[in-house]
Amino acid sequence: MPHIICCVKQVPDPETPASQFRVDEAAKKVVPVPGIAPVPSQFDTIGVEAALRIKDKTPDTTITILSLGPESYRDSIKHSLAMGADEGVLINDPALYEADHWVTAQVLAAAIGKLAPFDLVICGRQAVDWDMGVVGSTIAEILNVPCITIAKEIQYKDGQVVVERVLLDGFETAESPAPCVVTVSNELGEPRYPQLRQIMAAARKEVKVWTASDLGLDAAQLKNLVSLERLYVPEVKVETEIIDGETPQEKAEKLALKLREAKLI
Amino acid sequence: MPAPSTEFPGNIFYALLFFGFVSFFVWSVAVRFRWLARAQWINRFSEPIRRAIDLIPWVLGNSRVARPRYWYAGVLHTAIFWGFIALQFRTLNFLLNGIDHGVSLERAFGPVWTWALRPSMDAFNAFVILGVAMAAWQRFVWRPKRLTLNWDAWVILGLIFWLMVTDIFVNSAEIALGRSENDWQSFIAFGFANLWDRIGFEGTGLELFHVAWWYSHLTDFLVFLVYLPYSKHSHILTVAPNVFFASREPSGVLQPIKDFEKGESFGVGRLEQFNWKQLLDAYTCTECGRCTAACPASLTDKLLSPKQVIVDMRHLLEDRMPALAPWTKRPADPGDLIETVGFEPIWDCVTCGACMYECPVFIEHVPTIMDMRRYMVMEQTNMPETAQATLMQLEQRGHPWRGAQLTRTSWIEEMAAEGVEVPLFDGAQEYLYWVGCTGALQERNVKVTKAMVRLLLEAGVSFGVLGAEEGCSGDPARRLGNEYLYQMQAEQNIATFKGKGVQKIVANCPHCFNTIKHEYPQFEGRFEVMHHTEFFARLVAEGKLRPQSLDGLKEKQITYHDPCYIARHNDLLEEPRRVLEATGARLTEMGRCRRQTFCCGAGGSHMWVEESRGQRINHARTGEAAGTGADVIAVACPFCMQMFEEGVGSVPEAAEKGMQVFDVAELLDMSVAYSRAAAEAAADPPVE
Ligand SMILES: Cc1cc2nc3c(=O)[nH]c(=O)nc-3n(C[C@@H](O)[C@H](O)[C@H](O)COP(=O)(O)OP(=O)(O)OC[C@H]3O[C@@H](n4cnc5c(N)ncnc54)[C@H](O)[C@@H]3O)c2cc1C
Ligand code: SF4
Ligand code: SF4
Repeated sequence: MPHIICCVKQVPDPETPASQFRVDEAAKKVVPVPGIAPVPSQFDTIGVEAALRIKDKTPDTTITILSLGPESYRDSIKHSLAMGADEGVLINDPALYEADHWVTAQVLAAAIGKLAPFDLVICGRQAVDWDMGVVGSTIAEILNVPCITIAKEIQYKDGQVVVERVLLDGFETAESPAPCVVTVSNELGEPRYPQLRQIMAAARKEVKVWTASDLGLDAAQLKNLVSLERLYVPEVKVETEIIDGETPQEKAEKLALKLREAKLI
Repeated sequence: MPAPSTEFPGNIFYALLFFGFVSFFVWSVAVRFRWLARAQWINRFSEPIRRAIDLIPWVLGNSRVARPRYWYAGVLHTAIFWGFIALQFRTLNFLLNGIDHGVSLERAFGPVWTWALRPSMDAFNAFVILGVAMAAWQRFVWRPKRLTLNWDAWVILGLIFWLMVTDIFVNSAEIALGRSENDWQSFIAFGFANLWDRIGFEGTGLELFHVAWWYSHLTDFLVFLVYLPYSKHSHILTVAPNVFFASREPSGVLQPIKDFEKGESFGVGRLEQFNWKQLLDAYTCTECGRCTAACPASLTDKLLSPKQVIVDMRHLLEDRMPALAPWTKRPADPGDLIETVGFEPIWDCVTCGACMYECPVFIEHVPTIMDMRRYMVMEQTNMPETAQATLMQLEQRGHPWRGAQLTRTSWIEEMAAEGVEVPLFDGAQEYLYWVGCTGALQERNVKVTKAMVRLLLEAGVSFGVLGAEEGCSGDPARRLGNEYLYQMQAEQNIATFKGKGVQKIVANCPHCFNTIKHEYPQFEGRFEVMHHTEFFARLVAEGKLRPQSLDGLKEKQITYHDPCYIARHNDLLEEPRRVLEATGARLTEMGRCRRQTFCCGAGGSHMWVEESRGQRINHARTGEAAGTGADVIAVACPFCMQMFEEGVGSVPEAAEKGMQVFDVAELLDMSVAYSRAAAEAAADPPVE
């Protein structure tokens, strides 16, 4: 009975219109846009899809969704349950709302320890808000298990994990004994659309809620390693120059010269 | 001349023949009826008197068969149909005569029979033969693409033809064998009887001739009867009930799935999950192909043919029936409904309703196709990628426009910057202006929204908008088959409306308009809803808006594209045209207009679903619009706007002459602004 734990983070909708995106520089926080609900991080639902594909082949697999964040994260857990995951755990502790990647990984690792035994932990290759791409491998480090990153396919059989990894110029296959951590990439494919029956079942499913102390952690002892110095929206300047010419040929010629001047071609 | 069956052994022979065939017929009908009994219940018994009265034009009058476009088929069908009804008198008389010569309608009707029925029945014999000849010409020589040219039709046409021939010959022999003074009223048979006399055909020869034709007529009648249930001509039996039980709701309405918690299955994936009326539809289809001949998906080479959908259902039903008849082969493993109808056809449908409008026997294709789509989405999650992405988008972001750079209030802020305060609805206003997702989130459509607001303000209408509190109407989710999501969205909006005391709504999106007006009442949301074309036509008529011929517009030819959900599904045909005429525009019509309009390609949530194959529907329609010679395409729907804006850029005929697309509201706004400026200039001449 394989047990897969998927770490799912909730993020501000990456499709928020750019004009609406604001940060509060004094508080060093992203200002949530009213009326635009947060969504599960894209790579994390792909991670759930990867787990479900294993479950499709090995039906007695149990999939647990694990999230660290405030109450609103429940929506992302429910979405993953609707896709077909079995259990959901939310670690909601106001003392952890400002956690950096190091604290996040420690808390998640502690929770995974509590959920043990497990065969596989699946994380996104990076969370689509802060894009650090470190939580997965840090969890592996803390749990002292192997980690395979940026997967486009995960196969699990008899305690062995076989992963096809995405490289800049191709793919490679890596193998590891379970338990281990795998982070997934979008090359894995689209996450499935939940069946109505599962959406309704997910609505009824209970999500366990833990705090730091439930995990045997003392929130005061968990210190961020990274401190946020400044948060701001970079200014993007676009200068437009219209190139004139009598004929399209002439315009193209002038454009080509300009581009060469700018050493772009 | 008594019938040959009145004496031994003819009477035994007649009884065996008659009861044998009739019991087989009854059995075949019962087998079919059993499927109806097994299907889901739906109440189609409301307004029984109106339903019965409507049978007069629709069935007796052949009015849906004999539409101008199909006048040839209309004439031939009416000839055969009426001939058949009239000749039932003679058939009944013939069968009664067969039992006992003493029992006959001839005697019961007396002079009516002699003077009215005899000549008219001979005339109808001739009409039917003419109708059969016209049908044969259509099938043999003309061969319109919409028809399925199979042997079924030939069998039926042959049997009908032979029924007429034998009828005439039996009569002619009867006349020749026992003349009476009133025979000449059966003028055709009388002519033949005289012919027999003239060639000296008489005595035993003539008697045998009579017996032969008599039995030939009887068996033809009985064979026709037992063959009927197995043929597309079974509509003869089912058309009256099918029309009687036709939906009385506007054609654009879909029925809700009630009680999701208790539901065992959502949508239709198996035949018995259809309701009985849908299965009756399958028995009634005449395979005339008029639905497919009007279907935008079919006409742009997609796999969908609404006729085939219905025919597939019939064949699947038959494949599951016991096979007694020698000509019915049954497959060992009857096919799966969804697989047989097919993924692409079910997803190709733009719910334009052209099929339902064209069908002479009132078959309801759209709800049937949508039921299967619901099953694919909610039970199988079996859908095109673009449909899935749209549903996901609707769930997560509450609107269908992926990657929209605007919010529901951006346009309100922009208008404020332009110096126009858009009132927010707070219960004090008379009307709610429902903007819709597209009107708020798509740049091109925002221009229409702004024109709407300017016009409403100009006319002094008391109105407000919901701004950020507006949600998706739910139409996209419902037409993509996700009824669950639709109901959540609809209920949310109904709660907002009720909470704010909304009673009257104006919408410029036909899809929102249709669902709020006709479908929200399914969830106890009853509001007075108007489409903007309807509302503006009224404001212009009341003199609250005074458009004037606009200089720039006067020289332009405008063609108006009827949106399916306004024209065909909601009968708003003249209102938009009246508004356009008030602007001084010169209107020119496309061939397919008003109720016969051709979808822009975006209906049924196809605004966001990639077309499967063939020509793009919006290109076909833009080409048609360009063909009128018009410079401007006037639309009354945000999706039509999107479709034509893309079309006029991509279709060479339209792009070459720089065709433009405007909403009716934009044209009205321009012309009202022009007339106001002109009036101001006149009242206040510029100082030299
Ligand atoms: C000082 C400081 C303050 C911050 N304040 C906030 C804040 O107020 N709100 C906020 O949202 N972020 C805040 N962050 C960001 C921080 O929480 C990052 O999310 C965290 O460091 C992990 O980085 P990442 O999200 O880029 O994760 P990555 O390393 O890119 O994530 C990889 C994968 O790890 C898993 N994962 C990561 N985070 C979680 C989680 N919370 N639950 C479950 N799985 C997870 C997912 O599977 C994810 O795909 C702050 C960071 C700093 C340094
Ligand atoms: S509704 Fe329109 S697209 Fe759908 S089958 Fe009918 S005619 Fe074709
Ligand atoms: S569904 Fe109606 S229009 Fe289409 S083929 Fe059958 S009878 Fe004709």
